Amino acid sequence: MSETGATRTTADTGRVVSGSLGRWLTIAGGVLFWGWLLARWLNNWFLPAGVGVPPGESFLDPAAVAPISDSLAFAVEYLPQLADAAWLTVVLTVVSIVLGFVFAVPVSVARVYGTYSSTVSLAFTELIRGTPLLAQLFVLYYALNLSTLFRGLPDDGFLPSAVVYVAIIGFTINSVAYQAEYIRSALLSVDREQLTAARAIGLSQRQGIRHVVLPQALRFAIPGWSNELVYLIKYSSLAAFITVPELFNVARSIAADNFAYTGIFALVAVLYLGLVISASKLMAGVERRVAIPGLGGTASQ
Amino acid sequence: MLPGTGVVGAVAVGSLELSIRTIAQLGSDTCGSLPPDVAFVCENAGYLAGGLVLTIALTIASLLVGLVAGFPAGAIEVYGGRYASLAVEAVGTVFRGTPIVVILIFAYFVVPITDWFPIQRVLPVGGAFVAAVVGLGLRSAAYQSQLFRGTLQSVDEGQMEAARAVGLSKLGAIRHVIVPQALRRSVPGFQNEFTIVLKDTSVAIAIGLAELFTRSQDLFVQRTTAVTEVILLISAVYFVMTFGTNRALEYLNDYYAIPGEST
Amino acid sequence: MSDYDPLLTVESVSKRYGDERVLNDVSFTMDRGDVTVMMGPSGSGKSTLLRCVNRLTEVDSGEIRLGDHRVTDPGIDVDALRRDVGMVFQDINLFTHLTALKNVTLGLREVRGFSTDDAREAATEQLERVGLGDQLDSYPGELSGGQKQRVGIARALAMEPELLLFDEPTSALDPELVGEVTAVMADLAAGGMTMLVVTHEKGFAREAATDALFLDAGSIAERGPPAQLFENPENERTAEFLDRVSTVSGEP
Repeated sequence: MSETGATRTTADTGRVVSGSLGRWLTIAGGVLFWGWLLARWLNNWFLPAGVGVPPGESFLDPAAVAPISDSLAFAVEYLPQLADAAWLTVVLTVVSIVLGFVFAVPVSVARVYGTYSSTVSLAFTELIRGTPLLAQLFVLYYALNLSTLFRGLPDDGFLPSAVVYVAIIGFTINSVAYQAEYIRSALLSVDREQLTAARAIGLSQRQGIRHVVLPQALRFAIPGWSNELVYLIKYSSLAAFITVPELFNVARSIAADNFAYTGIFALVAVLYLGLVISASKLMAGVERRVAIPGLGGTASQ
Repeated sequence: MLPGTGVVGAVAVGSLELSIRTIAQLGSDTCGSLPPDVAFVCENAGYLAGGLVLTIALTIASLLVGLVAGFPAGAIEVYGGRYASLAVEAVGTVFRGTPIVVILIFAYFVVPITDWFPIQRVLPVGGAFVAAVVGLGLRSAAYQSQLFRGTLQSVDEGQMEAARAVGLSKLGAIRHVIVPQALRRSVPGFQNEFTIVLKDTSVAIAIGLAELFTRSQDLFVQRTTAVTEVILLISAVYFVMTFGTNRALEYLNDYYAIPGEST
Repeated sequence: MSDYDPLLTVESVSKRYGDERVLNDVSFTMDRGDVTVMMGPSGSGKSTLLRCVNRLTEVDSGEIRLGDHRVTDPGIDVDALRRDVGMVFQDINLFTHLTALKNVTLGLREVRGFSTDDAREAATEQLERVGLGDQLDSYPGELSGGQKQRVGIARALAMEPELLLFDEPTSALDPELVGEVTAVMADLAAGGMTMLVVTHEKGFAREAATDALFLDAGSIAERGPPAQLFENPENERTAEFLDRVSTVSGEP
């Protein structure tokens, strides 16, 4: 017993030291990563012509860093195009999760508290969660030919092209199903007596759900959102198969040109990892911020 | 859990062969009387069924790779030393943070996987299949390690103390007391993982593996008017597989549950 | 007798769950200002009866009236009824995501239509009344069991109910915290609040109750002033039960 106690203490101190160092590295990495991405996007769309560099071109001259390292020069040469493409990845993710949330709340409430609507909601979530996202995108793009709906909309790189709207519809529908499932289980994990207590002071069922059950459930659902955000960042890459020029698609076409699969996809993997890690850190921060004092272990730190 | 998966797999593949034969039979007899686009799908049912067999084989193989690599990884994260668990965590983060399509591209175009694992010389499978199994399998291992880490940690600490108190070594306690309880609790998570892997086999279209999804695209590229029929059909096939297997696993889970314990 | 107008009338109320008869032809009345204590072994139907009074549970047969509310009529507005009947729960059920103050203001704002400021003022007053003026911004997770239950009482009081129901308000509390809650309840009783209380606290009953009911197997086995019921129970089951309760809580 005492032996395990001792090792645990040393390990803990070790973790604290590496933890604070790790935290500073994470923060520094995050600032660098997002600073650079934002600089690229600002450069592309918000600087007047003649200021900054043209989209797709790097701030530094690749030839200048080539003497230091060939890999670095490679990265400097291709990262700008990838950063520009990452904009669409972020747009697809953020718009879909927000729209998905708007619809997921009623769908999950219907599932838990509805009667007839509960069955409809169940059928919808099971159907979406039981089929590949890629198949759903194909239904929208090829079978329903939805992109014709969005023809003629402006497309200047900042505002997306028609097919992006199709992808957003697809990801939103998919995300509604997953978020509804997260919120449903969160609703169920709220003590039933909370609603009883709300009814006992005269709140209607609807008011009780709105003011008592949902505020608690939405907090419980945060780890679910964290998952969903990460899921959307990664699976937005499937939009490439309906021709959306997001991060993966752009990388694939660059690699098809220069055959540098290893280099390009290593850079792409790093970009996705950066986005995914940022998302999980962000959600962990949100979870800490909205934690209820005295409840659960999340409030600490 | 393992035998369960095996049985489900064997039954699925067996009944599939039967239905392929039936479908092929039906195809030659009755397809002609259907509307043209449906008839087209009907005539090619055998081709799709071949893709389905590949999809199922890919799913099972990837889940097994995921289990074989993921369980030890999870155990290391719980019981391993500091550096071992940090290493496992880092590798896991990379696999969990990268889109499956990027992982598959790496496995097929970048890493000479078929040189490292020349399975194609022993089994009648292609390089794309091996790459897909490794890609889907390792990604699944990264998720399964999280699953097992969670369930191993969920076993009450008192269980370990009680096992040590009756004289079991730490390893013995893990093996005979903690792991059996943790594995039972892992079934719902494993079910989830199964669904994810099955659906994500469709992404193997990126490396041209002729599984169900890729073959469906082959078909509707041939006859673009049949696109709705083809996609809805294969969506239904995926749905039946995820839904059916999930219900079957839930039944097994209830059947083998420890009396008096929930879940 | 014709102008006899009780606040609460319970008439021949019966309720079963499946084959189990939970309430069997129960009748009693309460006047304004009455404090009635209900006792009885677990499963005797006390809590069910309480929940029938504010329609958290439906009766099978019989009638309940509270002031102008015909409680057991299917068509009534249950939310309006519940505005007039407060309830304090055994497991307290504070809204865990809201501070003590907001637990009280929620009903004031959403049900009684108070403005934010008015609700805040009224809620502060109620919380001061139960001795928690210094814990307005604490979350339930930061309060002791006794403090939580006092917030629960303040939350019910704030709705200015005509009748306050207590469902074993102290039985989930550590013994040393029971006193602070029963003291608040006794204060309310002295202030003229009409209260129907399920409890095994004989001290509170003796001090504050006007009336005691003993429920056994879904029927009222005995009724009378607390002192009389405790000292000379007529019913054998009552005597046996009171004896056991005394032993447990160590009362004289």
